[in-house]
Amino acid sequence: MAINTRGRKLAAGAVMGAAMALAAHGAQAQNLNMAVGAPVTSLDPHYHQLSPNNAAAGMIFDRLINTDGDARMQPGLAESWRAIEPNVWEFRLRRGVTFHNGNPFTAEDVAFTFQRVPNVPNSPSSFAAFVRPITNVEIVDSHTLRITTQNPSPLLPQDMTNIFILDRETHENATTEQFNSGQAAIGTGPFRVVSHTMGDRIEFARNDSYFGTRPAWATVNYRMITNGGARTAALLSGDVDFIDQVPTPDLARVRADRRLAVSEKVGLRLIFLGLDHLREDASPFITDNNGQPIARNPLRDLRVRQALSIAIDRPAIANRVMEGSATPSAQFLPPGVFSHIPNYAPPAPDAARARALLAEAGFPEGFRITLHGPNNRYPNDGRIVQAVGQMWTRIGVRTTVEAQPWTTFVGRAGRQEFSAFLIGWGSNPEGSHPVRNILATANRDRGWGASNRGRYSNPEVDRRLEAALVEIDDARREAILQEAQRIALDDVGIIPLHIQTNIWAMRNTLQHEARADELTRAQDVRPR
Amino acid sequence: MSDTTAPAPVEAKEETPFRRFVSEFAANKVAVGGLLVFVTIALLAIFAPWIAPQNPYDLAQLDIMDGRLPPGEVGGTGITHWLGTDDQGRDMLSGIIYGLRISLIVGIGSAIIACLVGASLGLLAAYAGGRTDSFIMRLVDLQLSFPTILAALMILAFLGKGVLNVVIALVIVEWAYYARTVRGSALVERRREYIEAAQCLVLPTRRILFRHLFPNCLPPLIVIGTIQIARAIALEATLSFLGLGVPITEPSLGLLIANGFEYMLSGNYWISFYPGIALLITIVSINLMGDHLRDVLNPRLKK
Repeated sequence: MAINTRGRKLAAGAVMGAAMALAAHGAQAQNLNMAVGAPVTSLDPHYHQLSPNNAAAGMIFDRLINTDGDARMQPGLAESWRAIEPNVWEFRLRRGVTFHNGNPFTAEDVAFTFQRVPNVPNSPSSFAAFVRPITNVEIVDSHTLRITTQNPSPLLPQDMTNIFILDRETHENATTEQFNSGQAAIGTGPFRVVSHTMGDRIEFARNDSYFGTRPAWATVNYRMITNGGARTAALLSGDVDFIDQVPTPDLARVRADRRLAVSEKVGLRLIFLGLDHLREDASPFITDNNGQPIARNPLRDLRVRQALSIAIDRPAIANRVMEGSATPSAQFLPPGVFSHIPNYAPPAPDAARARALLAEAGFPEGFRITLHGPNNRYPNDGRIVQAVGQMWTRIGVRTTVEAQPWTTFVGRAGRQEFSAFLIGWGSNPEGSHPVRNILATANRDRGWGASNRGRYSNPEVDRRLEAALVEIDDARREAILQEAQRIALDDVGIIPLHIQTNIWAMRNTLQHEARADELTRAQDVRPR
Repeated sequence: MSDTTAPAPVEAKEETPFRRFVSEFAANKVAVGGLLVFVTIALLAIFAPWIAPQNPYDLAQLDIMDGRLPPGEVGGTGITHWLGTDDQGRDMLSGIIYGLRISLIVGIGSAIIACLVGASLGLLAAYAGGRTDSFIMRLVDLQLSFPTILAALMILAFLGKGVLNVVIALVIVEWAYYARTVRGSALVERRREYIEAAQCLVLPTRRILFRHLFPNCLPPLIVIGTIQIARAIALEATLSFLGLGVPITEPSLGLLIANGFEYMLSGNYWISFYPGIALLITIVSINLMGDHLRDVLNPRLKK
């Protein structure tokens, strides 16, 4: 009998144990461990324009207009918006939204946010450009806003997809340090911050009163593992459930692993070669075959630029170096994005024709050039410059390759110290963004050509950009922007190589809505 | 300076100790093995352009389509890649042979220059004494208190990439070892009678320093020298592995290992593995010789 009782107790204990185990399992399934490759430098959403920061901010805060995985505009804190005059936009705001601390969201908060954005001290890369066109913000009622701009501003809604909205009461005097400590990191977004260790991890908890789709995770552990190999290893060992920026050398291994799943999306970042358009006379890193300087800059000759472009076997780079995680491209934006030029494909590689073009331009024996590039900024950047070096050398342009750390490289590129260099540009899904920053004639006062490091300049392009920036009609603006890009690209102002594919990897029990804008956010991950 | 003629007297005038040295060295089979391996590596390095199937530094000879071929595969250029290829389609065997060349140039070159600089300063410190001695030795202390890699990284960050710059950086971080060693043994030798005799004859200081004092400080210097060559090779590999050594189109062993490291998880082991083995064999062979040299040249260990 005694044994029997004990047996029953044991059985009861076993059932309880199983129940607890189940409960524990349920709790575990509510937690997501994710690792990202780039460190978040601040939780202040107006401090630093950087994809990793925007990703973290996108979990805590909302924008008037949010974007979906394809970078299309979606209602965020604004339910609808329309231009009531060419230079006045009206936004109708969502009702019943509260911040994490319970404060209601109103039009006052939006007006406050616009005031704060240009006044964040020590901001290394400010968001001010997005609110600069605004001359007046009129609060019609608690949930209606009218925004007046100096000129007709068709891009204002697009600009609003970059500005995270803060609470006037909470953030009136909030400093960047208070955001970083988590104290002021209070938004309307799907997650609230539990703790933040700079450069290491952020812990999030679900915001149960979020107005949008309820996130699948009660808690999120958002870690930063910058070393690619270590990040893959953490996923393989089960230390984390989800990683971004899968290193291309590990792709084959990750794809073959049945315990893992991969999500990917063609991104908005073009990798291209910039060329020295500035100098008419000798270019600093170009010499003849005997190492003597050439009196005129060969890169000013369209035929030389064309030769350098068609010498490049873009599919080989995309397949071999990038392991398929890139699409060869002749333009900034991928198909399906506003102002993509239809049927404008990269030229087929043709070494014979490249040599012929060089000969026509007066360089039948080619010349020598140094191609510079970063070695720690873009996936495989150092390998891509070497591959281009091989291809140029084969048409007689003997190429020396120099890859440097990003900070050194970008400083020198910005001072026009190079003859040819590899760099990338992540576009907004709107052609005026790359045209204004990369192809337009550099002009500090206008804010044009801010990243035009080769100093390409073409009045035909500038004139069209000017027209596009004030064109309210979307179809007409798209046509003008396509034309502007086509002119600059036919003129080989830059040599486009490929558009990167963003790749995430996770346990196969998860699914992820991949994003073109590279942002890695917990609300995009759900159990399968 | 007359430094280059310095070792000559040991061999020419004192034939017998040299012969004794050779026979003692030859008695240890491991050390002789090390020497043989080292000579083979040196020959490979010297005759690299004639031995290697490909010039791995000529971009025109590489094809990205031959990238990451496994060992034994034949590439598009018709070359059989016995040790496979790296991500740029560079033949690993050629890459290793040329890489050994850089390793030896950097290792031996920096050791010789550091030895000349360090030994001269060490001698001067020991002979002059007083303030000169304190000044040089504090400089040595300063240098030795700094982590070698960190110092080399800083120097290279300042000078930029390139084989010559690596040699300069290594000389700057290594001379102190020689200076300290030479000063130690020179202080002992200085009090010997033959130096006093030379001073009584009013021989010029330079002559006393380099004809009398220096040859007698040589044995410990040779030992330190061999060890430092191995250290310099390892250090160059480390610097290149960290991306600060040689240019990416002219990889040394360290850079080849670094390139392949990222492909380890996907199973392309050969890009890192074989250069690693080559580096290991080189350093071990030099260290074996160095260890035995120390035994032979140290009077206290004599039977």
